[in-house]
Amino acid sequence: MKPYFTAVALAVMLPVAALAADTAQVGKPAPAFTLKDEAGKEHSLSQYKGKVVVLEWTNPGCPFVQRHYTADTMQKTFSTLDGKKVVWLAVDSTASNTPDKSAAWKKTEGFSYPVLQDASGTVGKAYGAKTTPHMYVIDEQGVVRYAGAIDDDPRGNKKEGTTNHVKTAVDALLSGKPVPAATTEPYGCSVKYKS
Amino acid sequence: MTQQRVRRSSWRALLLVPVLGLCLGAGEARAQLPSTAVASGAPDEGNDRVEAALLTDVAQVKAGDAFRVGVRFRMDPGWHIYWKNPGESGLASEVTWDTPGTTVGALQWPAPSTFRTSDGYITTYGYADEVLLFAEARASAQAQGSLQLSAAADVLVCEVHCLPAQLMLTRNLPVGPQTQPDPAHESAFAAAHSRVPVAPESSGHAVTLALDTKPLTAGQPFTGTLTVTAPKGQPVPAVEKDFFVPERIPGIARLALSPVAGRPGTFKLEGEAAPDVPAQEPRLAGVLRLGPPGAAALTVSLPLASVVAAPGAPVAAPVAKAVAAPASAAVAPAVAAGSSLSLGLVLLFAFLGGALLNLMPCVFPVLALKAYGFTRTVHAERGQVGLHALAYAGGIVGSMLVLAGVVLALRAGGSSVGWGFQFQEPLFVAAVAAVLVAFALNLFGVFNVGTDGTALVEKVDSSHGFSRSAGEGVLAVVLATPCSAPLLGTAVGFALAAGPATVLATFFMLGLGLALPFCLLVLVPGLTKLLPKPGAWMERGKQLLGFALLGTTVWLVWVMGGLTGVDGMARLLSFLAVVGLGAWMYGLVQGASGGRKAAGVAAVVAVLAVGGLLSLRFEETGPAVRKASMVAESQPWDEEAVAAALKAGQPVFIDFTADWCLTCKFNERTVLTREDVRAAFAQHNVAFFVADWTRRDARISAKLAEFGRAGVPMYLVVSPAAPDKPEVLPELLTSDSVTDAVRRAAGRLADAR
Repeated sequence: MKPYFTAVALAVMLPVAALAADTAQVGKPAPAFTLKDEAGKEHSLSQYKGKVVVLEWTNPGCPFVQRHYTADTMQKTFSTLDGKKVVWLAVDSTASNTPDKSAAWKKTEGFSYPVLQDASGTVGKAYGAKTTPHMYVIDEQGVVRYAGAIDDDPRGNKKEGTTNHVKTAVDALLSGKPVPAATTEPYGCSVKYKS
Repeated sequence: MTQQRVRRSSWRALLLVPVLGLCLGAGEARAQLPSTAVASGAPDEGNDRVEAALLTDVAQVKAGDAFRVGVRFRMDPGWHIYWKNPGESGLASEVTWDTPGTTVGALQWPAPSTFRTSDGYITTYGYADEVLLFAEARASAQAQGSLQLSAAADVLVCEVHCLPAQLMLTRNLPVGPQTQPDPAHESAFAAAHSRVPVAPESSGHAVTLALDTKPLTAGQPFTGTLTVTAPKGQPVPAVEKDFFVPERIPGIARLALSPVAGRPGTFKLEGEAAPDVPAQEPRLAGVLRLGPPGAAALTVSLPLASVVAAPGAPVAAPVAKAVAAPASAAVAPAVAAGSSLSLGLVLLFAFLGGALLNLMPCVFPVLALKAYGFTRTVHAERGQVGLHALAYAGGIVGSMLVLAGVVLALRAGGSSVGWGFQFQEPLFVAAVAAVLVAFALNLFGVFNVGTDGTALVEKVDSSHGFSRSAGEGVLAVVLATPCSAPLLGTAVGFALAAGPATVLATFFMLGLGLALPFCLLVLVPGLTKLLPKPGAWMERGKQLLGFALLGTTVWLVWVMGGLTGVDGMARLLSFLAVVGLGAWMYGLVQGASGGRKAAGVAAVVAVLAVGGLLSLRFEETGPAVRKASMVAESQPWDEEAVAAALKAGQPVFIDFTADWCLTCKFNERTVLTREDVRAAFAQHNVAFFVADWTRRDARISAKLAEFGRAGVPMYLVVSPAAPDKPEVLPELLTSDSVTDAVRRAAGRLADAR
């Protein structure tokens, strides 16, 4: 079953990859990828066609990521989205990351979505991911509809009225409306790419 | 240059007691600072990666004099902090002042350096080694003893990895007869000042920009040429690598300048507009570092060009703020959700809503009056019934169109209006109350309109009859607006967000609906036979209806109390007494003729004018006079409080209401205060919010518009499991509809757990 699935995924993915831009741009098809998660399971963007995909560039060593996980920002945002229509994938492009580190971190923070392993940084650079966190929302047709920060609170000191850009974008897509702010300035640590 | 804010007292209490006294003797600069004026942070492998010190360029200041205050950051080798635009990652450094007795200006940022990750993939802007971020300050003219200076520095320190640091710094600056420079730090401030970029004009430079294409297209690249001209006679200095440091420019995704070979001072501009169309025309903003490191830098701030959406691309709306500022919310936002309704359906809703208004408590007195009028007409002047119905319908439709016109005019002027909005205006309430009292007195027989009472029976003036029917139509509209009916809210909400033609058409249909019962009476043969026969009872009935109108007046006086307080109520009642006096005077001279009558009418006008001028001055009272809601344990509506309740897992019920909204009051009295409803609220731990629209409130208007409504009542039930999907209840509540909705909201939560 699995090899068959992979073959289909590859067959679907190749033409998409040919069409896709070399970096993710809002309004353009998202760069295709296939990455293994911390448990070794493969995930291809093409297999999630028909669903809204949220990509979260992450690095458990980054204080900004740590702050958001301590405050449950990502976990809560994920849980408010309709699991039947939305897929959430964390991507770690940190050169020094290993599947074991991701697995341990996932256990500590207690979230269920996969952490895709991108130590080579290929996919991160294909998307132009610059910071952790850096968020992308891809629509059901595989087009990037949002790129930027998770919210409008870089310092984490807003007491009220924080806008969660990812939730806003996903809600807009699911209700068939244009995303109100398609790009925002991401904030956080730089992605520690292999050099 | 307005990064920093002067924030007082928020964290002052947390600071250590400032060290008393200040060493003023000569010696090493470091030794002069009290220990509270230095701090270090960002611990890493046993080392603090950044050290900060609170410095001034004076050792003592004279009251009223200017000086400079700053925070000097020293980073470990290889580490850096960030400029006001950190670049592609990082976080802007922030200094927040707390300086009682001293005013501190905007933070001055020396020109930053450019940093790149080793693979060149990520570019950031900031400071390595050492930097002094400073501001101009001035001691208060009343300053005595010493000034307490405190700064909270919030920086992100990065090498390969990043560490946040919050540093609290505080010290005292002695106030003395003379301002004395601080020799240890003066030069540091001078050096930092010389590195702050200056406007080109102030250094004799000229910077111009020519774009190759205008306007810019969202998501598309653009090019242009930037020219820097040096002061007369001077060559334009060569530029180093990374000579251009852009600020964050809303609407621009990417911006770069590169020198054009062989043409000093000429730079090619390459950029790309962001996929969103920005609200304002973007500006090319940033810093140009000319010449060798340490040389003067120029600020650049030039208009780019407006950005338009790419053909066929949706134009994104700006992100709505959770709490809209009153000024920005003044214009009723367009109802995007309403576009799912077709115009035909909206007009049908308007017609049915108008018809249903007849059953609402507001229109009832007029309806009774009209029924009485018809009883007489039907039997006395059979042939005229149709014409009377036409006049009545004409009065209704005409005043509906006037209302639509007023709404359009107000909207064009930028006001946010809704159904029943005019009851937010005290003078309007007073005018309606006056008309009602005059009408009631007329029914009591104090005076007669337009006829000399003696000849009333013989001389049935048909024209007078028609104008009266039309007037009753106007009154029906005036009194109907504080009521909402099922379908009406949706229709008017849609119309108010649409173009002028839709507004007029909707109000026209609303008028037709309101006029429907009497039109039916005329159009359906035999229906008129059901009306009772006229007789002596009619005179009594007429007088009884006068009391119904006075009852409506009581409600308006109460509305006035909500708008303007007890004083306003008293003023309104005084004015109504004057109106009564005027009516009585008019009744006295009515039978007279010629000069006497004219003099009498003039006296009536004078009495009304003087009485009106004296009494009709209403001041809106503060918001504190909110009367206790009829519903127990309610709290005023507030987005934040709602969010907090939802976060705490409570289902939320929001009652959008107004004192002048009879449908709202009816619902509150008959449903929301019922024992079983209250028990359901208690059982499901519902947080009950009241959004009171009695007075203008742009936040409430905006919220109503969000749900395609233009007026109250509106009832929202929000489940904590789906905070973004509130359920909207119908305008007329039943205890079942409320308890079921509350149960569903609570149930969803249970499902989600």
